[in-house]
Amino acid sequence: MLNYLFSFDPGILNYVAFLLTSMAIYGLMGLGLNLQWGFTGLINFGIAGFVAVGAYVTVILSLTQVPIVLAMLAGGFVAALFGLLMGFATLRLREDYLAIVTIGASELVRLIFNNEELYDGRPGSMGINGFPLPLESFRPTTFTRVGMVAIVTVIFGLALWKLWQWANRRLKSAAQKQKVAITAVAVLAGLLGLRAYVVTAISLSNFRANQAGNGLLFVALIVTAIAFWVVERLIRSPWGRVLKAIREDEEIAKALGKNVFAYKLQSLMIGGFLTGIGGALYAWQQSNVYPDNFRSNLTFNVWILMVLGGAGTNPGVLLGAVIFWVYTALTRDLNQILPLPTVQIDAFRMVFIGLLLIALMVWRPQGILGNRDELTLGK
Amino acid sequence: MEQLVQPIVNGLSLGSIMALSAVGLTLTYGILRLSNFAHGDLMTLAAYLTFLFNSLGLNIWLAMGLSTIVVIGFALVTDKFLWAPMRKQRTTPTTLIIISIGLALAIRNTVIMVWGASPQNYDLPVAETLNFAGVRVPFNSLLVMGMAIAAIGGLHYLLQNTKIGKAMRAVADDIDLARVTGIKVDRVILWTWVIAAGLTAVSGSMLGLIEKINPNMGWFLILPLFASVILGGIGNPYGAIVGAFVIGLAQEVGAGMRQILGDAYLTLLQNPVLAPIVKLMSPDYKIGIALLIMMLVLLFRPQGLFRGTM
Repeated sequence: MLNYLFSFDPGILNYVAFLLTSMAIYGLMGLGLNLQWGFTGLINFGIAGFVAVGAYVTVILSLTQVPIVLAMLAGGFVAALFGLLMGFATLRLREDYLAIVTIGASELVRLIFNNEELYDGRPGSMGINGFPLPLESFRPTTFTRVGMVAIVTVIFGLALWKLWQWANRRLKSAAQKQKVAITAVAVLAGLLGLRAYVVTAISLSNFRANQAGNGLLFVALIVTAIAFWVVERLIRSPWGRVLKAIREDEEIAKALGKNVFAYKLQSLMIGGFLTGIGGALYAWQQSNVYPDNFRSNLTFNVWILMVLGGAGTNPGVLLGAVIFWVYTALTRDLNQILPLPTVQIDAFRMVFIGLLLIALMVWRPQGILGNRDELTLGK
Repeated sequence: MEQLVQPIVNGLSLGSIMALSAVGLTLTYGILRLSNFAHGDLMTLAAYLTFLFNSLGLNIWLAMGLSTIVVIGFALVTDKFLWAPMRKQRTTPTTLIIISIGLALAIRNTVIMVWGASPQNYDLPVAETLNFAGVRVPFNSLLVMGMAIAAIGGLHYLLQNTKIGKAMRAVADDIDLARVTGIKVDRVILWTWVIAAGLTAVSGSMLGLIEKINPNMGWFLILPLFASVILGGIGNPYGAIVGAFVIGLAQEVGAGMRQILGDAYLTLLQNPVLAPIVKLMSPDYKIGIALLIMMLVLLFRPQGLFRGTM
């Protein structure tokens, strides 16, 4: 376990880089869901469907010579349309209808991808592979590598600066006893962030060692950072405040003359767009797409990381993604301790996630970073 | 002819099973205001408990009875420790939904942990298949329909003629009004769970009679079940029964459409506008048919066909 933190063995570095990529991808999906549930109160149980739509559209378009960036944007766009379709039928009505329809539609999407021949006459159940990956044939010069490291330095630098600000703000208002704890948490988080930065920087400077993996790490960090910045801007805008008003009390937003239906639809679509982009990254990370990769467990993994980190706060969602993957890494070797087959181990983890979801919603619906006073979620 | 009758027979037997479960769902939905996404997984749990007791050597009927009792007990325990405290805090419906999905995950994956993910069969003698002029009717399907009719008859008597049934209808209409009228709401809630979980458990065990049991059997039914409930008007048990039969028949007849239409099916497939809908009419996409009906209901008659309570 400790070698994840201290080792500079190339194998370990690669695995940590993989974890960082996963955190960024799940964080991106979480940001999408957070816009829907955390800020607007829409229950989307169809994340896996949005991810699948984003992944398949991106992959198939890029196989037909569409530039990869355009393919990714198209994937996000079609995922947004998927949201529009479901939202149009349900969002005028009771809140639970969206939950039901998203479950069914995401299952249907998976079945379609499983049964139809989507590309090149291959049966859907055989999946698609051999599609272009971002930056896989990119041969960076020393100069471009320095540039890439500089970009991630900015991203990690901003994150650490935010952490610093948060710690200072908390320290000012905290009681004497809490100060030690807050300092400890901040220092620990800072060190982990530093480790993540060092691993990223090393990976990018040895770009050739793992072309596709390092390329995706770079792309995923940038995309998620941009998405984070955009949603932060959005929710602080007048538009975002209307979303929060809808979450808190729909009738009030209505009384103020807001078109609640349109706002909900927009939130569902923008969230769906982000989740769809997450799907493109998800496909690239696995370098193949199989319908089985889009089962409902994916949906609940994203849900748990959002609720745990703090629904209604974007930094919370990213924190949730980090914790989720740290947990995954720590329990990766669980089958050496528990003599059970993989199916059972996976089931065991899902039982834990289910119980954790219940416990959080009952006792701490605001998650780790959320603000309970603001949130009516869970009252 | 038999191309059409066969799916109808299958649809009636699926509809009977869904009807019992949908009544359970509509009761908890309408009376307790709980959209319970763990409802399908209660069916799964019941089927696996029946499988367990059956494989321990118990007669299938005793096994089903025992499993029903255990599932009712489970539902009462979850109500006591989970739903009752939440009701007291007047938790929002959306929070209840997320809690129920957590419960669904926990139940389903516990089943996988204990019994594994592969499909299982009850230990039954190979059931006869009756043949009516070319239409194959498995004996178990007839059994399932008979049991459903009996259960629905019992429910009808209970709701219309007993004090508790009337109290349940009153609570479904308005819980606060019922309380001030002197109805013991807690007793009504207890009985609601007993009836809802009981019917759901029987329905889950019955599903195991007509197909193999697997850990996702109930989860995959959650959309058709909700569609039945909404189609019939939430909280209206009779509506839920009608809804379940409509959805069950539509799913099976839709799945058999290729056989029913014959050559016309291929012609329709050429039509670019109708092709996606025609494609949906296949055994692979039964859930798609339920989804389509649900979308249509939500778009054109969101209150359902009959009067609901909410």
